[in-house]
Amino acid sequence: MERAPVIDLRLGDVPAGMVDDWGRDHSLVTTMTRLANVRWDVSVGGSQYLPRRKGALIVVNARRFALAPIFAAFALGETLHRPVRFVGRPDTAPVGAFSRRIGGLLDHPDEVAGALAGGQLVITGAEHGDIGRVDHALVGAALSVGVSVYPGATVSSPLRRSARLEIGPASKSLRRRRGPLSELELADRIRADIAMLLDELGELHTGTPLDWLPLTGLGGA
Amino acid sequence: MFISGVGGELGTLVASLLEAEDWVGALSGIDADPPRRRLNRTVFHRIHPDEHDRIVSTVVDFNPHVLVHVGVWEPDARAAPRHAAALTDQAATSIIGAAAECSALEHVVVRSGIEIYGRARGSLTRPSESAPIQPTSDWGRTVAAIERTAAQVGERVGVSVGALRLAPVLGPHVPSPLGRLLRMPAVPFSLLADPPFAVIEDRDAARAFVTAARIGLAEPVNIVAPGAITALQAARRGRRIPVPLVGPDWRIARTLSHLAGAPIPDHVAEALHRGRLADNTRMRTLLGFEAETSTTEVIDRLYHWPSIVRQPARVQVA
Repeated sequence: MERAPVIDLRLGDVPAGMVDDWGRDHSLVTTMTRLANVRWDVSVGGSQYLPRRKGALIVVNARRFALAPIFAAFALGETLHRPVRFVGRPDTAPVGAFSRRIGGLLDHPDEVAGALAGGQLVITGAEHGDIGRVDHALVGAALSVGVSVYPGATVSSPLRRSARLEIGPASKSLRRRRGPLSELELADRIRADIAMLLDELGELHTGTPLDWLPLTGLGGA
Repeated sequence: MFISGVGGELGTLVASLLEAEDWVGALSGIDADPPRRRLNRTVFHRIHPDEHDRIVSTVVDFNPHVLVHVGVWEPDARAAPRHAAALTDQAATSIIGAAAECSALEHVVVRSGIEIYGRARGSLTRPSESAPIQPTSDWGRTVAAIERTAAQVGERVGVSVGALRLAPVLGPHVPSPLGRLLRMPAVPFSLLADPPFAVIEDRDAARAFVTAARIGLAEPVNIVAPGAITALQAARRGRRIPVPLVGPDWRIARTLSHLAGAPIPDHVAEALHRGRLADNTRMRTLLGFEAETSTTEVIDRLYHWPSIVRQPARVQVA
């Protein structure tokens, strides 16, 4: 896929009460962000690594029912004043339609590639569990349109409001490959980078139900 | 340059824009109906799509370098769906087939639509031109057939073929089932989904045809105005009464809308249920073309275009 020209899609470009080219409703996202702030008090770090105008794929660790990609997208969008989309909306009404309004994209490499080529920031979650597998097809979509992939560590608790999103510098594969191995190796690299970010955050992170105990108030993902 | 469908609003606009271009030599056009406005240079031939022999002789005698095929009938725009499909098929087969017999032919541009991608479950929100062609409506299948016919002819005679996949075209005089529906006093929308769709203004679509003919476009390109809008948002902007519908209500709404003069063909119903967006990046990169009017602006204009004003004759002669 060829690289698209850079498109500035700041929040102010979409009139109130309207949807953007992907069907995201800025007014609804603002409302949902306010509601999310009641549930989560997210501190965002590392946003300076992200490109200001170009597209980028951010891969975060995700725990089942933690809604990490969604709260991360809201928090990052609020920090950057720029639409941030998340991967993983269903394609059935009304949940899929609602997810699209708040910035959801289908979990399909072409869908993600289209958004990245259009200069969008896209957040996707690794598989559930203790830093699960990173979908190499989505990483391949980012590589195909020539945008960088960033690791992100999310930490939240089921019982507390405090949450953290820490974004690291763009992950780079150690070897230069010409074929599809590049996306596989980069996916592994991202997984390792997320693990490193989580270690740096210094939180209890066992990948077991122990993480859910409100001992420290914090848990992995 | 030969234009099929020059009698329609879009065809007439394309012809009038081509007439103003320096690089365009002789212009000729064909349609079942006469052009909607005065054309200075274009020689018009009024021929029905089923008159294959006349079409072939007209096109072959003209021997065009470039064929612009705009002669398509959108279901429920000017003809009922079945009739529209038959007319479109006849026109595509005979006109593109006739052009294939022309020794001077170098390039073909055909009108297609973003309905060609279909809206099956799991289909992309904004398909690009590389997305699989899986039409899920009659109109989508019709434009897919046009592209297929043109591509086959292009391959056989060795000419380049470009397809402009237009978003629903709206304009002050364009017969559009979507436009007609949105201008009704009450506009139905899907309560559970209310998905976004995009449109293109007729003038922008016509400019895209001129650009495609000039550069010799040899691949499909989505022609979509930037932005998107939902049926509910459109109704609100036009101060219409939004009517929320769920499931079986649609059957009643479609019947009532048909009786009220705004039939809802399946591709419009699909757009209202599943949305209709497409990636327009290549419109800029390949054609170097930018739509002048955004989707929201087109919808705003839709509500400001005057309705048909019927003036009685000053002198009754019969």
